[in-house]
Amino acid sequence: MKKEIPLAITFISGVLLVLALFIPHKPFGNLEEIFNDWYIIVSGFTFLLGIDSLLGYNFGKLKRKEKDAPYALVLILSFFITLTWGIVEIVRTPEHNPFGPTSTFSLYFYNSIFIPLQATMFAILSFFIASAAYRAFRAKEINSALLLVSAVLVMLGRIPLGQSAAPYVITVIFLIFAVYFFAESAGVTEPKIKIAYILVALIFVALIYPLGFVYFRQHIPEFADWIMNVPQMAGKRGIMIGIALGGIAMSIRIILGIERTYMK
Amino acid sequence: MKLIFLLLLGQITPIVVKAVDTPYDAGGSITVTWELDSTWLGKIGRIEIYRYSSAGVSDSLVETLYKPDTIYVDNATEDNIPYFYGVVVYADGEIFGEGRTTEPAVSSQQWFNRKRLSVLIILLVYTIFLMYFIMRARFDKNLFIRKIAGLEAIDEAVGRSTEMGRPILYVMGLGYISDIPTVASLAILKRVAFKAAEYNAQVIVPCFDPIVMVAAQETVREGFIEAGRPDLYNESDIYYLTSDQFGYAAGVDGIMVRQKPGAVFLQGYFFAEALILAETGHSIGAIQISGTTAVTQLPFFIASTDYTLIGEEMYAASAYLSRDPLSLGTIKGEDYIKMILAIIILLGALMETFSIGNHILRDFFSIF
Repeated sequence: MKKEIPLAITFISGVLLVLALFIPHKPFGNLEEIFNDWYIIVSGFTFLLGIDSLLGYNFGKLKRKEKDAPYALVLILSFFITLTWGIVEIVRTPEHNPFGPTSTFSLYFYNSIFIPLQATMFAILSFFIASAAYRAFRAKEINSALLLVSAVLVMLGRIPLGQSAAPYVITVIFLIFAVYFFAESAGVTEPKIKIAYILVALIFVALIYPLGFVYFRQHIPEFADWIMNVPQMAGKRGIMIGIALGGIAMSIRIILGIERTYMK
Repeated sequence: MKLIFLLLLGQITPIVVKAVDTPYDAGGSITVTWELDSTWLGKIGRIEIYRYSSAGVSDSLVETLYKPDTIYVDNATEDNIPYFYGVVVYADGEIFGEGRTTEPAVSSQQWFNRKRLSVLIILLVYTIFLMYFIMRARFDKNLFIRKIAGLEAIDEAVGRSTEMGRPILYVMGLGYISDIPTVASLAILKRVAFKAAEYNAQVIVPCFDPIVMVAAQETVREGFIEAGRPDLYNESDIYYLTSDQFGYAAGVDGIMVRQKPGAVFLQGYFFAEALILAETGHSIGAIQISGTTAVTQLPFFIASTDYTLIGEEMYAASAYLSRDPLSLGTIKGEDYIKMILAIIILLGALMETFSIGNHILRDFFSIF
C-alpha cells in the first residue's frame, strides 16, 4: 500500500489535469488553480524543513570547526538578526509588514545588501560569457569556424558601429580563409585537389569587395536578423519540439507509474 | 437622454456593437466588439464601455480604453443573466460616436474547448503510439536506443572524481518538484548516487527548494541502498541552500571553490545562473556533465561543460540508465512521432509555399 496509494494519487491527479486542459466547465476548469494553491500551501510548510536543514548543516560546520566555519557563522548570524528584527518590527509597528517595502530595516537590508549582492553575481556573468565564448569560438574545426563567423556577423549586425566596421572585419576573415586554403594547397600532391584549394582561396579574395564593401556595409543588420530568425530559430525549434514530445512521454510514464524515481 | 437627443440630431455617429458569450471558457465572461471607422483612428481620445443588466435600467461604466481597440472582454459577468452593452467614443473631450447592443448576451460555461481539438487529436495519437510501444516492449526486450554520450560518461566522471579523492557535486538547478526536468534530474541523481556508493565517494547536493531537497535525499538514499552500502549514506550532504537565484549561484560557486569537487553534474532547469555555475566548475578543473531543457541556457552548457544532455536526452535518461523495457518503449514511440511530425512540418511548409490545400494544416495546428 506504501507504493499503491501514491501511484493512485499520481494517476488520478494526472488524468484530471489533462482533462482540465480540454474541459473549461467547472469543476474541471479551475482544477489547475486549485492544485497550484494546494502546492503553494504544502511548499510553504516545507520551508520549515529547509530552514532546519540549512541551520543544521551550518551549525554542524561550526561544531566541527571546519575550514569554512566563518562563512557558516555569517549565515547563522544574518539569519537570526533578520528574523529577530522582523519579529521586533511586527511587535513595535504591527501595521507594517516586516517583509514589505514600508519597513525601514527590511528596506535598508533589501536595498543596501541584497540588491547589490544580486547585481554583483549577475554582473560576473558578462566575464563568464567572454571566457566561454573564447573557448567556443576557437576555430579548430569547420563547425567551430562556422560558429565563429556567424557570431562575428551577428555581433556586427547588433552593435552601433557594426555597419562601418563590417567591410574591414569581413576582409580580415576572408583573407584568413584565403591564406589557410592557399597554405593547405602547398601540402597537397594531387594536382586537381591542389587547383581546387587555390581556387577556393581565390574565391575568398574575390568575394571581399562585393560581400564586405558592398553587401554587408549596407545589409549587415538584416543579415544578422536573418541568421537569428532562420537558421538559429530552426535549430531552436527542433530542440523545442523534442523537449515537448519528451515532456509528454515523461508525463505519461509518471501518470502510468512506469517512472517512479521521485518516490521511495 | 442627452445621447439619444444628440443621436437624433445626427451629431453623433452610430456605432454597431455586438456582444457574445466568450467561447470555450469557464463562464463569467462576455466578449464585446464594435466597429471603428479607419478615418477616426487619429482622433479618438477614449472609449467607454457600459453594461446594462436589462434593457431599461441605468448604465454602469465597466471599462475605459485609451487606445482605439475594437474588442473588450468583460470577465465580471454572472452566468445565465442577460446583459446589454453600450460603447461611447470620445474625441477632443466630446462624444464622437455611440452604440448599443440590440440583443442580450448571456455568459455560460462550456464542456469542451474546441480551440484545443488539434491538441487533443495529437495527444491521443501520441498516447496510442506510446501505448503500442510499451506493449511491444513487454515482448521485445532488445529495443535499440542510440548511445547518449552524456549518460555514458556518468560512470567515468564518478570514477575519476573518486580517484582524485574529491567529492561529487550534483546541482539540480532552480526547478521545483512540479517541473519535469527536476523529476528527470532525480533519475540521473539516483545513478550518480549508486555509482558513488559503489566507489565509496561523497555526493553533495545543495538544493534550491525544500521539497526537491527531500526528494533528493530519498533518491540518494535509494541509490546507496541499491548499491548495498546504506551505511555510507549521509543525509547532511543533501541540504537546502536558498531559494534566491543568485544567492544559490553564489552558494554553489562557494562550494565548488572551497571543496573542489572532481565531478560536477548540472542537471535540471536553469536560468541566468547556468553559465556562472558552469564556468566556475570549469575553472576548478572538474569534469562536468550538464543537462537542461532550458533552450536559452543550452549553448552556455555546450560551451562550458564536457558533456551536455540536450533537452529530450534528459527526459530519456531514466529509461536509458534503468534499461527498463517499458520506459524504453516510450522513447521508441517518441522517436516515431518525431519522424511523423517532421514529415507533417515539411508537408505544411510545401503546402504553404505553393498555396495548396487552403491552409488546412496551418489552421489545424493554430490553437491560439
